[in-house]
Amino acid sequence: MVGKKIDEFMNYVPFLKEVIKRDFKKKYYKSFLGVAWSMLSPLLLMVVMSIVFSTIFKRSIPYYPVYWFSGNLLFGFITQGSQNVMNSMMANASLIKKMKIPKYFFCISSLTQQFIMEMFSLITYFLIEIVFGVPFTFNVFLFFIPMIYAYVFTLGLGMFLCSYATFLRDLDYLYTIIRRLWLYATPIFYPIDIIPAQFRFLWELNPVYIYLSIFRDLTLNGVMPSERSFIIATLYSVITLILGIVAFKEKEDRFFLYL
Amino acid sequence: MEISNAKVSFLSEHDTYGTSENNDDDVCIDVSDVSVMFNMSINREDGIKEYFINMMKGKVAFKEFWALRNIDFKVKRGDSLALIGRNGSGKSTLLKTVAGIIKPTRGSVKVNGTIAPLIEMSGGFDRTLSARENIYLAGAMHGHTKKYMKQHFDEIIEFAELEKFVDVPVKNFSSGMVSRLGFAVATSVNADIIIADEVLAVGDAKFREKCEKRIAQMLSGGTTILFVSHSTSQVKKICRRAIWLEKGKIIGSGSSAEICDKYTESLKIAKKTEYRRKY
Repeated sequence: MVGKKIDEFMNYVPFLKEVIKRDFKKKYYKSFLGVAWSMLSPLLLMVVMSIVFSTIFKRSIPYYPVYWFSGNLLFGFITQGSQNVMNSMMANASLIKKMKIPKYFFCISSLTQQFIMEMFSLITYFLIEIVFGVPFTFNVFLFFIPMIYAYVFTLGLGMFLCSYATFLRDLDYLYTIIRRLWLYATPIFYPIDIIPAQFRFLWELNPVYIYLSIFRDLTLNGVMPSERSFIIATLYSVITLILGIVAFKEKEDRFFLYL
Repeated sequence: MEISNAKVSFLSEHDTYGTSENNDDDVCIDVSDVSVMFNMSINREDGIKEYFINMMKGKVAFKEFWALRNIDFKVKRGDSLALIGRNGSGKSTLLKTVAGIIKPTRGSVKVNGTIAPLIEMSGGFDRTLSARENIYLAGAMHGHTKKYMKQHFDEIIEFAELEKFVDVPVKNFSSGMVSRLGFAVATSVNADIIIADEVLAVGDAKFREKCEKRIAQMLSGGTTILFVSHSTSQVKKICRRAIWLEKGKIIGSGSSAEICDKYTESLKIAKKTEYRRKY
């Protein structure tokens, strides 16, 4: 059973490549700078955010622009990625209605495309770390661990949302609003210290906060995150992915009626 | 009009139903007792608001619509089967079910081999991409590597007669050009089964002839064809066997000549009665 699934997956790998390539082409269709925007736009936003907030948080956050950039990087990937996965069935309706391709492939392709763009932003992130003179530690090389957590979590969340958004298009609009709330509930532009200690546990319920603190510990603070946070992060990712797959499996046979 | 609702088996002529179990290796499409139901929701809910309003009114009831009922047939490797019937008889649904796009509500579809579905001529092209990119994308959808598609690229373009338009986005193509490309791609990916829905309705006579020739070539090469067309003359030319569908049921099956004649006859009768009723 599992072997068969893997065979099926390998069979469609060239397809995955072509679809990701196509999505890139479409995204930057008639754009002069193209992929460079995925490096440039967070950089420009960083400048804006630093002007607005750096005086307020100067004392508690030593490298404010880098701090903000790391938060925006991970949070942006998770929310934009999950929204793209959520809409992946609608975006590929013409193919799904005409070809027999396992539908989860479109979830993977849209997320991977977002992930590749995040990799470009990551290059920018390391460059500005050098520019701002963030002290170097070897922990930086473990940056991929929180990225994997984020990928798995986002795939699960996106598939879960997709199972319902294909039937109820309102979810797309609703999710845009939830994203905004989520943005304020995650310490991206503010330090976690401003939250009173007795309410901190609420923030720990937010998976993005867990991933983000691991990411910042490794790449910015140069410390090793606690084992506890790795365990929590793994649990969040795996459970979300399982939930997503279960919901998707249950609903996918009826998608074609609503596309 | 003879109505046969019995199980139909498309094995070679002398095979009778029941002995089919002996050469199962050769059966490449096995549709057994397939029914497909659609929820024809009276008001289709596309939004939460509508959904809740309707739930309050107790109106989330669905009207069941059986697009296919108890369809049962087998197709042997290298055979050609046509589905005929009037609009809305379930032909396209049946093709999509065999292609694996629609999962049957009841019953099962077993397919031995790879399928190249040509459902609606554009066959899953992305309109913003060029012909070249679409060929690679379509090839990838059939599980072919880029290397394999490169080898067949010139052949596809030549057959579609699109040498001058290789890098033009498909959205700028005429409908004839799109269908030519669709046919060329689907027939050159070496699938075991070709599923064709109204594919030869477009294109000029010369291209149609070319397509028919290619289909004949593929049939002799062992490809199985499932074919939908409103043109009975085409069905007679291409297919050995035919199934006549009406309102989602098989009401006749046999050699394509025989079934096509019966079908044309029934259309004539229907027309006459309608004429009489009117005047």
